[in-house]
Amino acid sequence: MAAISPVESANKAKGDLLAYATLSIISIFCAIPFFWVFLASLDGNAQLFLRWPDQWTLDNYLKIFVQEDGGKWLFNSLLIVGSTTALVMVLAGLGGYALSRTTAWWKLPFLYGILLIRVLPPTALVVPLYKILLSMNLAEAAVLRPIFGSSTRAIMKWTGFIDGYLGIILVLTAMQLPLALWIMKTFFDGLPRDYEEAALMDGATMVQRIRRVLVPLALPGLAAAGLFSFISAWGDFLLPLTFLSSPELQPLPLGLFRAYLRVNTVDYGFLAALAFIYLLPAVIAFGFARKFLVQTFAGGVKG
Amino acid sequence: MAVMNAHEARMKRQLLVILLPSMLLLLAFVVYPAIYSVYLSFTNEALTGAGALRPRFVGIRNYARLLNDAKFWNSLLVTFFFVVGSAIIGQFVLGLVAAMALGRSIKFGRIFSSMILLPNAAPEVVAGFMWISMLAGGDNATLSRIVAFFGISPSDWLNTFPLTMIIIVNTWRGIATAMILLMAGLSTIPKEIYEAARMDGATSTQMFRRITLPLMMPTILLYMLISAVSTIAVFGMVYALTRGGPGGATELVSIYIYNQSFTAYQLGYGAAVAVVVLLISVLIGIGYVKAMKVEV
Repeated sequence: MAAISPVESANKAKGDLLAYATLSIISIFCAIPFFWVFLASLDGNAQLFLRWPDQWTLDNYLKIFVQEDGGKWLFNSLLIVGSTTALVMVLAGLGGYALSRTTAWWKLPFLYGILLIRVLPPTALVVPLYKILLSMNLAEAAVLRPIFGSSTRAIMKWTGFIDGYLGIILVLTAMQLPLALWIMKTFFDGLPRDYEEAALMDGATMVQRIRRVLVPLALPGLAAAGLFSFISAWGDFLLPLTFLSSPELQPLPLGLFRAYLRVNTVDYGFLAALAFIYLLPAVIAFGFARKFLVQTFAGGVKG
Repeated sequence: MAVMNAHEARMKRQLLVILLPSMLLLLAFVVYPAIYSVYLSFTNEALTGAGALRPRFVGIRNYARLLNDAKFWNSLLVTFFFVVGSAIIGQFVLGLVAAMALGRSIKFGRIFSSMILLPNAAPEVVAGFMWISMLAGGDNATLSRIVAFFGISPSDWLNTFPLTMIIIVNTWRGIATAMILLMAGLSTIPKEIYEAARMDGATSTQMFRRITLPLMMPTILLYMLISAVSTIAVFGMVYALTRGGPGGATELVSIYIYNQSFTAYQLGYGAAVAVVVLLISVLIGIGYVKAMKVEV
C-alpha cells in the first residue's frame, strides 16, 4: 500500500468529502424532527416550528402527570406492550425451538406459511378481526353476566376481547409472532445440539431440558425477538385505535392522537413532552436492538 | 432399537405440543380472519342499521360497487404512487447512497448511522406528529424556512402537495431499513473485484454499473419486495398526519378500508376492499417466499 499515487489519494479524498457531505445531509434530514420534539417539550411557549426556547421549563412534563391522565396512558402502554413482549418471547422461544429441531412433514409448509403471513397487512385483517373479537366478547359477556351481574364490566376490562386488555394483547402477540418465530428458529439452527444431547443422555425431561439448557443458551435470541416485538407493538397505532375505546384503557398512542385532536386547546409544549415520553422507550429499545438489526433484516433475506 | 423409536416418537410429539400455542394463535387471529374476510365481503355486514341486526348474503354486490367506486380506485392509485415514490425510489436511493458512503469506513460513521436509524424507532403517531410541525404552513414553519435558503416561497405544504409530502415522510422513516439491507449486501462483494477493475483503469461510475449493481441485484430485488408489502401496510403515520385528506389526496387503501369499516360502518364493503389488498399482498408475498429459499 506504500505506492499510492498522488492522483489516487486525491480521488480518495474527494470521494470521502462527498461521502461526508451526503451523510450529513441525510442525517440532518433524519434527525431534525427529533430536535423539534425535544426543544418544544422544554419550551414554556412552544410553537409548531423549530425554535430555541427563551424560557426553559419542565412544566410540560409535569402537566402530563398532574393535570392530564398521562400516567394512566403510560401504565396502559407498559402493561399491554409488556405482556405482549413476554408472551411473544415464551411462545416464539418454544415454537422456534420446535421448528428448528423437528423433522416432521409440516416443517416446510409451516415455515413458508409464516413467511406468507408476514406479508398480510394488518389493515386488511382488522375488519374480520373486529367481527371475530366482537363475537368472542359477546359470548364471554353472556357467560359472565349471570354469574357476576353488574361487576361484569369491571372483569371484562381485563379479560374482554373488545375494549379489554386481553384482546389487544392477544392480537398484538399474533402480529409479532411470525418474525419472532423466524428469529428464534434461525437462532436455534445455529446452536450446536451437543448440550441438549448431553442433557438427554443424563435422562433430563423436556421441561428440565428447556429450563436448564435451552433458556440460558437462547437468551441472545430471545433478547432480539423480544426487542423487535416490543418496538413494533409499542409503535403500533391501528390495533389500539380499532379495539380500545374507553378512556381508562387508552394507551400512549391514543392519548397523544386524541390530545392533538382537541382543537380548541392545542398546547404544543404538552404534546411534544407527551410525544417525547412515548418516544423514549422505543429509542432505548432500538439502541439495544441495533446489534441484531443486520441479522434480522438481512437474516430475513438469507433465511 | 424399539426403545429409541418410542423415545423419538415422544420427542416428536413434544415438539408439536410446544409449537401448538403459536400455531393456534396464528390460526385464530391471522389465518382465520384472512379467510373470514372473503366471506364477509359477500355480505352486507355493518356496525349499525339493518346490516348489523340481520346481515345478508349479497353475492358479488360489494365487488360490483367497488368497480364503480371512484374513491376506491383513487385510493389504489394513491397507494401505488406512495409505494413507488417512497419505498422503491426514495428509501432505496437514499439508503443506497448512505450504505455506500458508510462503506468507505470514514470517521463518525457510527454517529451518522445512529441518526439515520432514529426515524425507524419513532412510533407511528409520533412520526406523524413531528411532521405536522415540520410541514406546517406559515413563514416560520421549519420546512418553509429551510427552502427559503433556496429562494422557494413558503407554502402550506400538507395542503398544497399532500401526496408528495407523505412520500417524503415515509422515505424519511424507512431509509434505515434500506441502508442496513444494502450494507449487508455490499459487504458480501469481494474487495478484490474492485481492485482488479481499478488496475484495468475502470472509473467509479463504470465500477458501480458493472460490478456493484449486478452483484447486488438479488439483495435489491428482495428489498423491493419486502418494502413494497410493508409500505402497502402503512397506516398509523399517515392517518395521524392527514387522516387521508385533503379531499382523499392521501387516502391510502389502508386508510380507505379503515374509513369504510369504522367511520361509515360498512364492514362488508370494507372487507371487499381488504380482500383486494390481501390478494395484492399475497401475490407480492409469493415472489418474496420464492426469493427466500428457506433452509430447513
